[in-house]
Amino acid sequence: MAFARASFEWLAPSLAHARPKPWRRQRARIFAIGLAPALVVLAVITIGPTLYLLVTSLTPASPVHPKSLTDFGDPLGNYRAMIGDGEFLNSLWVQAKLSVVTVVAQLAVGLGVALLLNAPSRFLEAVRTAFMLPMVLPPIVVAVIWKILFTPDISPLHHALAAAGMPVHSLIANPDLALWAIVVADTWEWFPFTMLMVLAALQMVPSEPIEAGRIDGAGPFALFRYILFPYIRPTLVVAALFRLIDSIKAFPLIYVLTNGGPGTATEVTNYYAFVEAFNFSYWGYGAAIATLMVTGVLLLSWLVDRLNPEEALDE
Amino acid sequence: MSSTRLLRHGSVCILLAVALLPALWMLQLSFRAGGNIFDMRFVFTPSLANYRSLWSGLFPGSLGHSAVVSLGATALSLVIGTPAAYALSRWRFRSRRPIALWILASRMAPPVAYTIPFFLAYRFVGLIDTLAGLIIIYLTFNLALVVWMMRNFFDGVPPALEEAAWIDGCGVWAAFRLIAVPLAAPGLAATGVLCFILSWNDFFYALILTRTQAMTAPVAIVNFMQYQGWEWGKIAAGGTLVMLPVVAFSVLVRRYLVSGLTAGGVKE
Repeated sequence: MAFARASFEWLAPSLAHARPKPWRRQRARIFAIGLAPALVVLAVITIGPTLYLLVTSLTPASPVHPKSLTDFGDPLGNYRAMIGDGEFLNSLWVQAKLSVVTVVAQLAVGLGVALLLNAPSRFLEAVRTAFMLPMVLPPIVVAVIWKILFTPDISPLHHALAAAGMPVHSLIANPDLALWAIVVADTWEWFPFTMLMVLAALQMVPSEPIEAGRIDGAGPFALFRYILFPYIRPTLVVAALFRLIDSIKAFPLIYVLTNGGPGTATEVTNYYAFVEAFNFSYWGYGAAIATLMVTGVLLLSWLVDRLNPEEALDE
Repeated sequence: MSSTRLLRHGSVCILLAVALLPALWMLQLSFRAGGNIFDMRFVFTPSLANYRSLWSGLFPGSLGHSAVVSLGATALSLVIGTPAAYALSRWRFRSRRPIALWILASRMAPPVAYTIPFFLAYRFVGLIDTLAGLIIIYLTFNLALVVWMMRNFFDGVPPALEEAAWIDGCGVWAAFRLIAVPLAAPGLAATGVLCFILSWNDFFYALILTRTQAMTAPVAIVNFMQYQGWEWGKIAAGGTLVMLPVVAFSVLVRRYLVSGLTAGGVKE
């Protein structure tokens, strides 16, 4: 048979299915060639830097001491310093507050807007795109917009409150309120993300159980609680994790609105790492904090992958 | 119109105002000159003074840097990422899932973690304050996005067409180029636009890795706040110029925007 196949091959060399093995191998080779550049580049620009970050975190690297980049005399020094560093511990607390409050607020607002938009109406469909504006704006523009709104001189909000006889001092200059000002701006910027994910999930909800619930006399709250909510809960969990991960990276808003202040009231961990690494040039210490953040983010990414409902279906 | 319907439309209108008015306030501020900035009356004589003063300074150069870096990073990540996305879509192999997870994780990593090693390496090889340096670091998020999005788009192209082409003697590479890519062209355009927006929007990397030679527009805006006193009119005008291309592009690709913005979270 082998002889027969070989002898016909010159007649129809294009009949791919007639010679499955070499064909499949050739196909796999070309796929591998297509995949390789991206994987190599990704490895060089993501795995490489991550390893170098880890290495740097084991040194007291700073520009003041030229040999410090390769000084591994006290590899855990930075990590030991972190435990006793009040400003770092404070940054973790500020981060925790900011993350929890913004994620909850964005889930609530995003879910609410999505439920409002989820009705058969040409108007509601048309305005969906408009709601995405805050999220697609350049983060620095969002920061400028809120800097304007939080600056009493030029803010229409402050002017309106003053005109109503309730003048308010600048929120971002008040240590007790600055973090809440950031929460407001961050929620405005990112509620569309939850909104989009919930809207996508709502479209997958079959109409039969809703109809059945309605016929059985369920009110709008019961319909949501017992029929809609179970369908969209996995999506809400994934949206919360995505926003949690992104909240760890919060930067432009804090940089422009408060610069981490007043004092250290809005200095989240990411911001503290930036200040240590690039304002004070303690590269080693900044790298140690960043290493900790990467560990946290990788754990959360792993969770996203475990919980992603669509991916589970994909298997 | 029933009362619940009225209530629903009414609340949506109010929320819409909350979502849009802050940006519109900045927009109108950019057309107020001098002392007009602190005037809260809605009627005023629009002036282009802020834009004119931006145009005569260094800002157009920063906008140019932003454009070059964003286009460069977009082109490079599309060229490298699209074949990889195709392979991930069509080729079933064992490490497919870990690779997808790695690509997702690289999108998640905090920028400060990349910045420290990149900064140290760039200092060494002289890429600090260069457009090339920014283009390379933008690949860290763009490449992952291209692979992730294009994989979804290729999943949507029926493989039967390519299989038919293979049987007719078309090579794998040719089938990719002549069948899969043209069929996924709208997706490719949308992915490109999203890469452009992400690069254009970047502030953190540009803040740390550029000084004057490669300063991008977002960093230039922040410099108006720090070194030249508070020039609200110029800040608002700069913000408007940085915002405009993003808004225009978003409208252009709004159909695909959702899948890109929620990449990794929602699978089409």
